[in-house]
Amino acid sequence: MPGRRGRRWDGAVRCCVVSCCESCRGRGRPLVSSPGPGGAVSELRGPEDHTWNWTFLSKGRGSDVISVIKQFQVCLASVGANMNVGTAHSEVNPNTRVMNSRGIWLSYVLGIGLLHVVLLSIPFFSVPVVWTLTNIIHNMSMYIFLHTVKGTPFETPDQGKARLLTHWEQMDYGVQFTASRKFLTIMPIVLYFLTSFYTKYDRIHFIINTISLMSVLIPKLPQLHGVRIFGINKY
Amino acid sequence: MANPKAVCNGHYHQKQNNLLKSGIYKKNGIAKQIKKNGISNGSFYKQPFTEHFEQAPLYVAVFTYVGFTVGTIFGYLKDFLRACGIQKCPFAIEREEQKDFVPLYQDFENFYTRNLYIRIRDNWNRPICSVPGPQFDLMERVTDDNNWTFRFTGRTIKNVINMGSYNYLGFAETDANALKTVADDLQKYGTGVCSTRQEMGNLDKHIELENLVAQFLGVEDALVFGMGFATNSMNIPALVGRGCLILSDELNHTSLVLGARLSGATIRVFKHNNMQSLEKLLRDAIVYGQPRNHRAWRKILILVEGIYSMEGSIVRLPEVVALKKKYKAYLYLDEAHSIGAVGPTGRGVVEYFGMDPDDVDVLMGTFTKSFGAAGGYIAGRKELMDFLRTHSHSSVYATSMCPPVAEQIVRAMKCVMGLDGTTKGLQRVQQLRKNTRYFRQRLHEMGFIIYGNDDSPVVPLLLYIPGKIAAFARCMLEKNIGVVVVGFPATPITESRARFCVSAAHTREMLDTVLNALDELGDFLQLKYSRNSKSSRPELYDKTSFELED
Repeated sequence: MPGRRGRRWDGAVRCCVVSCCESCRGRGRPLVSSPGPGGAVSELRGPEDHTWNWTFLSKGRGSDVISVIKQFQVCLASVGANMNVGTAHSEVNPNTRVMNSRGIWLSYVLGIGLLHVVLLSIPFFSVPVVWTLTNIIHNMSMYIFLHTVKGTPFETPDQGKARLLTHWEQMDYGVQFTASRKFLTIMPIVLYFLTSFYTKYDRIHFIINTISLMSVLIPKLPQLHGVRIFGINKY
Repeated sequence: MANPKAVCNGHYHQKQNNLLKSGIYKKNGIAKQIKKNGISNGSFYKQPFTEHFEQAPLYVAVFTYVGFTVGTIFGYLKDFLRACGIQKCPFAIEREEQKDFVPLYQDFENFYTRNLYIRIRDNWNRPICSVPGPQFDLMERVTDDNNWTFRFTGRTIKNVINMGSYNYLGFAETDANALKTVADDLQKYGTGVCSTRQEMGNLDKHIELENLVAQFLGVEDALVFGMGFATNSMNIPALVGRGCLILSDELNHTSLVLGARLSGATIRVFKHNNMQSLEKLLRDAIVYGQPRNHRAWRKILILVEGIYSMEGSIVRLPEVVALKKKYKAYLYLDEAHSIGAVGPTGRGVVEYFGMDPDDVDVLMGTFTKSFGAAGGYIAGRKELMDFLRTHSHSSVYATSMCPPVAEQIVRAMKCVMGLDGTTKGLQRVQQLRKNTRYFRQRLHEMGFIIYGNDDSPVVPLLLYIPGKIAAFARCMLEKNIGVVVVGFPATPITESRARFCVSAAHTREMLDTVLNALDELGDFLQLKYSRNSKSSRPELYDKTSFELED
């Protein structure tokens, strides 16, 4: 249904292939023919040509309108092109390995530390408020980046198997209880302990922090792998 | 044996330090060469096999993530500004009539391209307007709108030193004398073949070339194809199918991966150049058989490359062949980068390790890199070649190689083999070896982190931090040197690199120019991450005697 797809990152993008490629500009020679009213992708030439240039125009829908262009240049001999995903390794989806890379756990902890220090330097927040804010902001960011944003920021060579999967579901290709998953589950819990201590177990802070923790722990359960409650965030 | 170097019963006993055999050693608590490729079995190798994969300090990895985070945040910011209309969209808007259509793509899939890649994409797809020899001419292009569009100024940047072309033996040349036979064949045959090998496209040139390739490699027969990528992707499906097992190296090229996936066989990946991982996979395959019915696999094919172009590492061929013989598997060796580039007479990794070409079941390679032409070959036993002639899609349906290109390969190969009566080919091979050794040694001395084998002409220099990718390429171009850089997602997220391809056509002066530029740039961009200790007195390297001089 057209009206449903208002979400910004939700795949609400239509494309139509446009006229000239960049190098043919000025010579009036279109590389691919302009789209007809159906807006379909037309005659993409195969790898026998030395470059192919498609220009996709797309626009999101609803009030959050985003116009993006996809200018995709694939050069045959260019093994080094930045946009050839997985050229230097046969990792089909590099997103699955990001959380296992060297130094990312340390960077994550340092990031939380930086957030906390920035919040501490705001003069009118007391220490318990700062800790609760750290906890909330951390959990909200984790929820957005790990459990809301779906797909990969680049095209993968597997025809988009991971398009409807959040980053948490993509990690390690869906294998549960790997080291990174355990780390990312433990971090909010540790933060919760610290926050409870520094807020002196005050009731309001406790309620807020617990709800925030639940919001970030429940999506990590293996039983909720791929589950979309009430169809929210399905497409 | 308390004394490590004791002589006992007439035998010289030396305490084996296992770590030393695998090439890592600890100094001041820092592991100098991280063990990435398993422990090597030293008894197979007739010459030392040294590969380096040093890891940068941890703070470099942290800065890499900081770089990507900042880039992502700014990406979201720019998208927001474009959505609000505050920033102009440099690309066209879609038509009003198509607003209600079902979307075809996600805009998030395009996030990396539009917010990170396009900002630095002036470093790729640079148009060249001369032969890609040791130096080339570039068309100068500028951008008025942050790399969304380019415009040519009309000027040509002349004599840019070429460190990116796969021109290992320097056959990318325009010397009229050298290309005389090619020009003659162009007159005789024209440019196009206009048919497939099976129909009217089987010329005497192809037969001559195939015989020459077989003679060059020391095998019974060879088959040539017009396109190197298609050689892999079309021939692997002809060799294996369902019920077969493919054991493929982690870092295999896309053509091998595509061929393996097209074949329908089960693919298992072993860690890069790690023989323990490969052996484990082989044992499991033979013991457990196919996944559900546990029947034996019809065939097991091991896919490896001679030189891996992104790492510069050379395959551990003696160990792979030993494993293949022990477990009765087949071996497919893709020598795209190593044919002509390694080995005492340029015959590839098989000769480099002093092995028999009959040990490798399928030898594959391309003519694009060392021979200055285009196309690929497959070589091996005659029955296999005859089978492929009838069963491979490439040989049956694809247009065959065009005759001038075939003649270029013939003359280049004859030059390398010495059949033209001169030693020019051998000189090229030796010059490449000297250049490789010199380049790598100087880069190590300067303190850069270089990956790969000491003998591989592909030299990846690690940049790590995403901001430095563009800075490096642009600064090198200002100094009139053209390099190829790669980053995520083509490489792992922490390992962006610049890849140099040393050529036999590079003179010592050109290499020195490049090395001096790298030295300066390395200090300016802080790229010298290597923690291997260097002498603090480099002037002592060249001293021949340490006597006091008056």
